[in-house]
Amino acid sequence: MKKYLFILMAVATLCSCGSTSQMTLDTQYPKMYEEKPTSIVIMPPINQTNSVEAKDYFYTTLHAPLCEKGYYVYSPMLTMEMFQHESAYDAEPFLEGSLSQFRDVLGADAAMFTIIKTWSRNNIGGTITANVEYRLRSTKTGETLYQREGHITVDKSVYTGSSSKGLLGALLDVAATAVSTAATDKVVAGRKCTAIVLQDMPEGPYGTLYDKDQKNAAGAPIVKKTVQ
Amino acid sequence: MKKILLVFVAGMFLLTGCETVSPALYSWYDSEDATYQYTKRTTDQTLANAMAQYEMVVKNQKAARKVVPPGINAEYGYLLCKSGRQEEGLTLLREEMRLYPESEKFISRIVKQLEK
Repeated sequence: MKKYLFILMAVATLCSCGSTSQMTLDTQYPKMYEEKPTSIVIMPPINQTNSVEAKDYFYTTLHAPLCEKGYYVYSPMLTMEMFQHESAYDAEPFLEGSLSQFRDVLGADAAMFTIIKTWSRNNIGGTITANVEYRLRSTKTGETLYQREGHITVDKSVYTGSSSKGLLGALLDVAATAVSTAATDKVVAGRKCTAIVLQDMPEGPYGTLYDKDQKNAAGAPIVKKTVQ
Repeated sequence: MKKILLVFVAGMFLLTGCETVSPALYSWYDSEDATYQYTKRTTDQTLANAMAQYEMVVKNQKAARKVVPPGINAEYGYLLCKSGRQEEGLTLLREEMRLYPESEKFISRIVKQLEK
């Protein structure tokens, strides 16, 4: 019995999170805990790619993950109408500038900026890639509270094993990969990117770990991953 | 029996690894995809799908908080007003402010505009 307990302890220790040298959330993102933002407005994404649609499509995917982090997040549909009326559809000027108007008009504590750097599909290789930077800025002080970047590739390639049967089999795999990749909406990579990047964002007031996650491990500033 | 139990527990440790994943706060159903499709192509069909999903989210919250997620009452209420169901819509917009007082500044402006 003792032997098993020992093994269990050893396994638990091996699995327990990270090394002691790893950054914790309060050392990586101290301003999140100083300012304790409650409400977040999602700014129109800044699109640095040639994919014109990336901006509007990606914008709709940010709301739910941020709500799940425990914040009040203004409805993207309603704020987008406001941005268009107030000629703030392009967020670039606000990335470094004053955000006080969003505090005055909305009551938002912070603004989430996203910069889309890659939004692409490779049918032959079977991959969809989204590289996005996330930057949360205080509307009060203008300071950056949270910043992280994701380089996420979704692998849609098909391996039937038929390639071992020669050239025809390999060609069939290439064709199947191209079909499966072309049929997948690029927004899938954007969604995965947001989900993976925001994993280490400190939780807001509606979250179960609010003000309890200071010592949790923070992730790398740039997270690179390939997912299925 | 104990042996099996221990192996099982050890296995669970291995499987769960380091990520501490909080349980979902809200039930979203297919609302994310429905609003995405509606944004992508605004048709009567995509609007109807989005409305149906909003209704699910507003009426059936089964996740941790048992409360409608931020923004959803407001979005659904706004779309109801736009489609002529003004009273129903305004009630939901007011519900947004009741559940989330931090939304009041923004939502009260929208309510005022819609009441005109």
